[in-house]
Amino acid sequence: MLVALSLTSCRKEPLENKGNPHHRVCKTYSQQFEAVWAGMDQGYLFWDRDTVDWDERYEKYKPIFAEFDARPANKPVTIYEYNDAYIGLFEGLLDHHLYGRFYTPKGIPHGYCEATVRPGENDYRHSTDPDVERENQLKVLRKKAIPGTMLEYNPNSTYDIPGSYFCLIKGANDGELIAYFRFTNFFMVQMHQLYEYASNVVPDAVRAQAPAKAFYGPRYHEGISMEGAGYANNDSVVGIIIDLRGNGGGSVADLAPLIGSLAQTPTLVGYTRVKEGYGRLDYSAWSESWVDCPKNMHLKKAKPIVVLADIHSVSCAELATMLIKALPNGTFIGERTYGAIGGLYSGNATNIYHDLFYSGCFGDNEYFENGPDPYKNIFSYYVYTSTFHMVDSDHGDVEGIGVQPDIEIRYNKHLLESGTDNQLDRAIRFLRVGH
Amino acid sequence: MRMINRLPISIVRGLLLGWLAAVPAVLAAQEENLAEPRTRHFSIGITAGIDRNYHSVDMVYMSDMKFDKFRTGSVYGFRIGYAPLKWLSINTGAVLIQKNYHMDHVFEYYNLRYSLNTTMTNDYVNVPLELKLSVGRVVQIHAFGGVFGGYWLRGHRKGNTYSFSNERYFDVDEDWEFNDKRDNRIEKGFTWGAGLSGKIIDRIEVGAEIRWYYSITDIQKPYMQNLNPRYNTAFAIQGGLSYWL
Repeated sequence: MLVALSLTSCRKEPLENKGNPHHRVCKTYSQQFEAVWAGMDQGYLFWDRDTVDWDERYEKYKPIFAEFDARPANKPVTIYEYNDAYIGLFEGLLDHHLYGRFYTPKGIPHGYCEATVRPGENDYRHSTDPDVERENQLKVLRKKAIPGTMLEYNPNSTYDIPGSYFCLIKGANDGELIAYFRFTNFFMVQMHQLYEYASNVVPDAVRAQAPAKAFYGPRYHEGISMEGAGYANNDSVVGIIIDLRGNGGGSVADLAPLIGSLAQTPTLVGYTRVKEGYGRLDYSAWSESWVDCPKNMHLKKAKPIVVLADIHSVSCAELATMLIKALPNGTFIGERTYGAIGGLYSGNATNIYHDLFYSGCFGDNEYFENGPDPYKNIFSYYVYTSTFHMVDSDHGDVEGIGVQPDIEIRYNKHLLESGTDNQLDRAIRFLRVGH
Repeated sequence: MRMINRLPISIVRGLLLGWLAAVPAVLAAQEENLAEPRTRHFSIGITAGIDRNYHSVDMVYMSDMKFDKFRTGSVYGFRIGYAPLKWLSINTGAVLIQKNYHMDHVFEYYNLRYSLNTTMTNDYVNVPLELKLSVGRVVQIHAFGGVFGGYWLRGHRKGNTYSFSNERYFDVDEDWEFNDKRDNRIEKGFTWGAGLSGKIIDRIEVGAEIRWYYSITDIQKPYMQNLNPRYNTAFAIQGGLSYWL
């Protein structure tokens, strides 16, 4: 009997089930810390690459949050202390989508604080506001565009999202043209779907569709494509510029019609994986990630394509950059992209993905979007983090590193403000002279 | 979920107690055999059979992830024995044993349904060192027990995975890529069982046995604080052939 008992006691006991960190109700600072720490511990995708020692962070910050709980009423936790604690906890993590929002747990009678963390933002950034930068770039573009060819398409005005632009630029020889497309976001298909299905409730739906027809042709509703623009397949167009500078990303649904249509067949853009269990390194197998090529609406003949991107090209814009760079006729000019390439599902409707794949966003999305609701049981935290890990078609990791340009041309604020867009100029020169 | 972890332990305890109860009976029956000295002391042999592995893991709150309780595999190898007495021998050798498991992950949410599955085929080499007690003349009955050391040689996973970006399933059929930080390839544990054997010609003996390989090492290294342990317990039915030197 003793032998039998000693045999079974040779094994470690399973962990205590403290509940899913996605749905935990937190009434103290310590409980909130435990939930957030556990959510990252089990659901963060990059533990095999990250240099942060998450167990060490636990040991360091657990007593800090415990001390917050022990504070007397006359010495509440300040917003600075609360911010410092969470910024320190998340500091240096690799996921460049990572964005946490935390609020004093419900049940704390005093000292309401809110903290946000974005560890990826510590990277290199431009000194100019992206909106100002885009306006300056557009001013230069208007001068380079062949008169009368500039089109603006903005289906997202309802949500105050900047539009997309098209124009023709002169090529090297007479009669030769360069087609220029600027996509400032990748919400187009999503917006189209919204307008198509909710035209009765979106007041400017009809107004939004009119420029779409002008921009993409009468078949725009079949998919926004290069052919729909009616230019790229024209024999006089000898090169194409896809400008993704300042593009903050969006939905992968845009990739096939907008970028996949630049190829002649579906393109393998990379590989993805998710979590498959409780352990930090319990990963699924890698699965291929293809970008479709719309059957009848794509570039029929391969032409030189330059993608322009910069540090403000994020997420889906980086995927698009990666895709064009992978094409035999594609060249990436500009500077490294932001490095938030991991795919992500967020929002109330898609929060189930944390339960499904044990990875990605967790916590109260309504709080994240709308702020605290005192009538709800859980509103105290939300962590926006990648649902799946993506690598490029050579299994090269770009998370936190960004896609690297074939020809590096750094952003130059002074040149741009004086009317020279050095990155666009290099792209035009490349297409005119071939290198 | 914890019941899953308890189930094999109760089985293991029951079987081990039964085995321990049989040992005095075997010893008591040795009186007749003791008088007859053993003329050959060393034996070599081969063994083969099938095993059913139980992969013990607690998924905590991840209740939609199910592990198959038992999964079949194969076992084969060789044996070396030294018998100083007619009724007592010390055995070792090496067996290649599969300790497989299967995961089903079915997730349903309103009209959404995702069904993922993975079968892991794991090849281990196990080296037991055990004492064997025997009784009988024409047909011998054995009870044995000891320890084993092992090494996780190879893994293979087959099943499917889901690609978000393509919104479809992809088949998976690939060798397991060992991760030095995560995978504990060294295995230790206890083995015990019982069997029958008999000589078919002068030096050659055939036999059959049932045995357990009860691992006490987690298949994962302690690379994180909040790690749920995972253990293998393999139950094998083996046949074998021995040659007395």
